[in-house]
Amino acid sequence: MGLLSLLRKLKSSPDKELRILLLGLDNAGKTTILKHLASEDISHIMPTQGFNIKSVSSDGFKLNVWDIGGQRNIRPYWRNYFENTDILVYVIDSADQKRFEETGAELGELLEEEKLGGVPVLIYANKQDLFNASSPGEISEGLDLSQIRDHAWQIQPCSAITGEGVREGMDWVFKNIKSGKGKKK
Amino acid sequence: MLHDPASFCSIFHWSTNSAILNVWVATKMKLKRFLLRYYPPGIILEYEQGGLLKTKSIDLLDLKAETDADAVVDEISRKEPLITSSKAEQVKKLVLRLQEKLGQTDDHHFYLFKVLRAHILPLTNVAFNKSGSSFITGSYDRTCKVWDTASGEELHTLEGHRNVVYAISFNNPYGDKIATGSFDKTCKLWSSDTGKCYHTFRGHTAEIVCLSFNPQSTVIATGSMDTTAKLWDIQTGVEICSLGAHSAEIISLAFNTTGNQLLTGSFDHTVQLWDVNTGKKIHTLIGHKAEISSAQFNWDCSLVATGSMDKTCKIWDAASGQCIGTLKGHDDEVLDVCFDYTGQYLLTASADGTARVYNAISQNLVAKLHGHEGEISKITFNPQGNTILTASSDKTARLWDPESGECKQVLEGHTDEIFSCAFNYEGNTIITGSKDNTCRIWR
Repeated sequence: MGLLSLLRKLKSSPDKELRILLLGLDNAGKTTILKHLASEDISHIMPTQGFNIKSVSSDGFKLNVWDIGGQRNIRPYWRNYFENTDILVYVIDSADQKRFEETGAELGELLEEEKLGGVPVLIYANKQDLFNASSPGEISEGLDLSQIRDHAWQIQPCSAITGEGVREGMDWVFKNIKSGKGKKK
Repeated sequence: MLHDPASFCSIFHWSTNSAILNVWVATKMKLKRFLLRYYPPGIILEYEQGGLLKTKSIDLLDLKAETDADAVVDEISRKEPLITSSKAEQVKKLVLRLQEKLGQTDDHHFYLFKVLRAHILPLTNVAFNKSGSSFITGSYDRTCKVWDTASGEELHTLEGHRNVVYAISFNNPYGDKIATGSFDKTCKLWSSDTGKCYHTFRGHTAEIVCLSFNPQSTVIATGSMDTTAKLWDIQTGVEICSLGAHSAEIISLAFNTTGNQLLTGSFDHTVQLWDVNTGKKIHTLIGHKAEISSAQFNWDCSLVATGSMDKTCKIWDAASGQCIGTLKGHDDEVLDVCFDYTGQYLLTASADGTARVYNAISQNLVAKLHGHEGEISKITFNPQGNTILTASSDKTARLWDPESGECKQVLEGHTDEIFSCAFNYEGNTIITGSKDNTCRIWR
């Protein structure tokens, strides 16, 4: 990786390269989803203190996925990474109902950000493998997702541990990119 | 009488036909004192001319511990009118002192002195001041911190940037100012003593990713993802000029030793050489087949070395702008290049996990550095030129012998990749900055 590769991934490359920003509260499962996308081992994942970046090739695209730590003290720095984002992927722990309000508020703020204007949003309702997980419908309602106006959005139930649903979410991403990326710039 | 630090920018070039000139020049110049510069070896003459105090440097880049000192002194007094026969004995003492320094063998074993955990996000770059008494760290947490090297205490936090602090520098050799370049598109100038911000330089339209003070510390150059480089006046805080000839991001930038020329390396595959005083382009170095990763001058400013994603390093004649050599051999992108202080060696570091040592003049391969288990993103010599330091994504930094290519030591402890590393001027302290949010001091 190195600093130089960070710079190369920072800029959005012309055609077949996508910058995906992976955000969400701490313990939502962002890094597990990232590792799943990169087909890497997920048995020892620690809280992300900074960021992880993976380049994954899929459907003819090169995805540069930026996974930024979700702890409260790191969240103010999410905006460091907004520039040139093609897709925002927001991860929610579907079984942590206590924090729906908190995660909804964070997502609401993100969607207000000028630099993320018009960027499609994929919301992973993660941890569907847990028995007490809320359904995508309940989450949409709880987070008032129907209020999202200026972004194409989709909620996708998934389990980052089993991998179920992750692929379907990315399919939505590609569909929205294929129609959207050409228009940008 | 002896001074170590060297802010000596006026380099005096000996020329073969200067004998006649010398006669009358000598009558007008009065030698005031000598200053000694250890790395690279040189004697600085401070002299008075027309009521003005001036300096010029006698570079002794080829000096070795075993060189005949009398012969060196003879040559100096033959070529340098300021060195009259009465001064010869004094000059010889200086030469011997330099040789003593050069002869010191390096068996320093580094140990981890301190782990600094004050940043809450990954570090970007690290840099020492000239004396090595303090150093700075930039971070994704939008701050730059100033540290005391001896104690590991945090002296100042330079706060004010609204995004990643990426490029940082002291105005060495003075060390009283710090410049920071940020992804927030601005560059800030700070007092290193108080942490106060003197100026915020605004004008770039994208991330600032490289910067440098000129050697006189009157100008800052910044390079940006907006494809331009800009020169800023340190006193007034205004933009002097914008250097726009690249068609892609500028990611590397370097002044020459005298400060009258500037190199910019770009993702557009080219390097531009600029006249700092006029802001005009002197040469475009065309030949690399992929993005430039680094561009550097050697000490006497005769050569430029460039590293590229095309897996090669090229050597260019700075005067003509012609490519005079292409160093092939790496199996992957060349991520960093570096001359030693005297300009005799050239180093290349690659994404293939190896580094190479070349003779900068003959362009022959001297050694291959094998051992890292991940890409090497930074490579540097100690000022003494007898140890190479590399930083890698394998979470280690390593020390190497430039002649044998043997790994002298592995600096282990970081828990994520190392982004940056630096030697102090004395060569007895190392700092490493990592994605694990820590900076480590080794000594």
